[in-house]
Amino acid sequence: MDPSLKRYTFKAMGSYCEIQVYSDSRIEAKQLIQRLAGEVTRLEKKYSRFEPQSFLSDINASHGNKLGIKVDSETQALFNHALSCYEQSEGLFDITAGILHYIWDFQRGIVPTQGQIDEVLPHIGYHKLVAKKSRLFLPKNMQIDLGGIVKEYAADATAKLGRDLGITHGLINLGGDFAAIGPQPDEKPWTIGVANPKEDASLMAKIDITRGGLASSGDYERFFEHEGKRYSHILNPKTGWPSSGLRAVSVASPLCAISGSFATIAMLKDEEDGKKFLEESNLSHVYMDSSEEIGGVGLKV
Amino acid sequence: MKATSKSLIALSTTALALPGIAGADAPPTVKTLSYKISSYKEDELSRKEAPLGDLDRYDIDVHQFQLVSPLGRNMSLRVDANYESLSGASPWFTSAGLDGNPIVNLSGASGIHDRRSELAIGGSYYLLNGSISGNVGYSEENDYRAIYGGFNGERHFNNELTTLALGFSYSSDEIFPTDATLFNRVSDESKHSSSVFFSISQVINQFSSFQSALSITEQSGFLSDPYKLRDSRPDDKTQFALSNSYRRFLVEADASLHINYRYYHDDFGISSHTADLSWHQNLGRRFRAIPSIRYYSQSSADFFTNIDDFLKPLTEYQSSDYRLSAFGAISGGISFVADMGNWKATLTAERYLANEDYSVHSVNQSSTALVKYTRLSLGIDFTF
Amino acid sequence: MKPITVFILGILIILSVSACTEVRAWERGYLAQPEMAWKPDPLESALNDHIFFSKEASSGGNSAAGGGCGCN
Repeated sequence: MDPSLKRYTFKAMGSYCEIQVYSDSRIEAKQLIQRLAGEVTRLEKKYSRFEPQSFLSDINASHGNKLGIKVDSETQALFNHALSCYEQSEGLFDITAGILHYIWDFQRGIVPTQGQIDEVLPHIGYHKLVAKKSRLFLPKNMQIDLGGIVKEYAADATAKLGRDLGITHGLINLGGDFAAIGPQPDEKPWTIGVANPKEDASLMAKIDITRGGLASSGDYERFFEHEGKRYSHILNPKTGWPSSGLRAVSVASPLCAISGSFATIAMLKDEEDGKKFLEESNLSHVYMDSSEEIGGVGLKV
Repeated sequence: MKATSKSLIALSTTALALPGIAGADAPPTVKTLSYKISSYKEDELSRKEAPLGDLDRYDIDVHQFQLVSPLGRNMSLRVDANYESLSGASPWFTSAGLDGNPIVNLSGASGIHDRRSELAIGGSYYLLNGSISGNVGYSEENDYRAIYGGFNGERHFNNELTTLALGFSYSSDEIFPTDATLFNRVSDESKHSSSVFFSISQVINQFSSFQSALSITEQSGFLSDPYKLRDSRPDDKTQFALSNSYRRFLVEADASLHINYRYYHDDFGISSHTADLSWHQNLGRRFRAIPSIRYYSQSSADFFTNIDDFLKPLTEYQSSDYRLSAFGAISGGISFVADMGNWKATLTAERYLANEDYSVHSVNQSSTALVKYTRLSLGIDFTF
Repeated sequence: MKPITVFILGILIILSVSACTEVRAWERGYLAQPEMAWKPDPLESALNDHIFFSKEASSGGNSAAGGGCGCN
């Protein structure tokens, strides 16, 4: 019997998520998918900024605590990756920029005053964090936001768990962050459509992945217009204002976490720097720039 | 080829170190239960080698169970249980036959029936750049008991291209031969072994890696064979073993080549070379065939004799144990693996032939009773 | 050759080959294949170690010794 495709959709990490698995047995597929969804839920509960019980909330509540907070090896590894993002983006991709979300309210479309921004900027900067062995010391009034890292990592970790559980054909999609457990049967790739930020329901590109991951960053997901100006949810931690470079970026790489870092950094950079950064990476990518031109390499249109 | 971007290197390195992603030496994320059943049969001796008595050697059935399970996010648990049932006879003493050649006298017609049960439990704690592990175990037979334990640590360096490992282990063994008074055997003896090992593993390129390891084991106590009529060995022994392993993946062939070489030396005077080679051929995504060959050669212990000398004083060392003679052995086997995702089956057949003529070491006195055996194993792994 | 000499030689070989190659983290797919492990089938390795330990004089190598048995 040929294996059949089983899909399961759920809501996690503030997004629409989908797990697709090929399996000979529907009952087995259901159990496997539950295990995989459980991994996503585990990471959501641990690293959600909005969940008061989460470990990330404990970390954020520890700001100013002289004793710091003990972090486990998974969190240490995430912070290490965040440091790498911070260094490679020359300070633009900064997990300590989370505090800006308190003054920029994208849901209600409130633009803060420059005075408010100037007040929070001193509390931003990864280099201000102190880590000693397994203890993290978060300076007073600083906050951590692992957006752009955790969801991508969760996609990879879930795909890896799928492989460990013996699944050979499957795909994880966590709100547009994709990681392949393995290709479709007969080595057929998964074709992922990248939405066009300008026109709803149209695609700006299709990217094939057999292994590895794909992540996107763009201002079509969350943005607002205020007094005729478009504000992207991607905030520049140096100025405190939304970035004004590329409008959307998708990157394919061996891991969703790598794709996510490249996509976010490219969005945070100035338009030309962002394009150059993507080109130098040699990774398959697609972007839309501010003049609504679509560019990139290694994809079908 | 364009140079790889610095950002890609930096970001990939940290991303690949994330625990849910990391491949090697990461805590397991799933439980694996394994079982292997093996039948081990030695060829019977020829009438020429043992003119009197039973010709059967050992028949052993081995059952191995293993459970590996994650324990929280940073730890893993390992439980091993082994059970062996053994029947047959073992060499009792050697003597000169009518033609002057040595002959073997096997232990009585009643033969030997023994069981060995072993339970070991271990745990590992995974850190950002390595792991630490500990284990304890207990093994029991009719006439033998061992309690052992050990710990080891592993650390990755150089972007995980180099791994150093260091370990210690200790075993306390007790020997209480059956029918001790009847045959005037020792009644209760003990020995202690301490062992230390160090290894370095290095990724050579995208396709190959190399490992070099050194182990030193110090044994003290009763090291003789209590069942042999005349067997007297020193009560201290130091063993050195140096092993080198090479792995190479061949993309075109979709196969991997394993080469191992070990040099061994101890202060009983035995040196040995062991070389083995195996070829892991993937056959599609689900099947794998693994042919392997092994060559072994050892020199004899300083006090080895092929004919027990009952006139020698007891204080002088002597042993006719064939394992202390100079000999060589050639063995070959094949395994078939079927990997069906959450379960995996492995079937193995192996043939082993020991012969004094196979030795590259000089054979002054050849031993009789060298072993030939056939082994068949079936293993099942279940992941859940 | 003394064992220690062989060991040092082994390390020197490793260092000399490793000096000229840099294998990026994402280029380790082949090395991560299960059959490329040092011990791809732990039960098989344990069984073989046990048999050779009881039929030959040599033991040890790439791990510390476990418990003994009456077979040796």
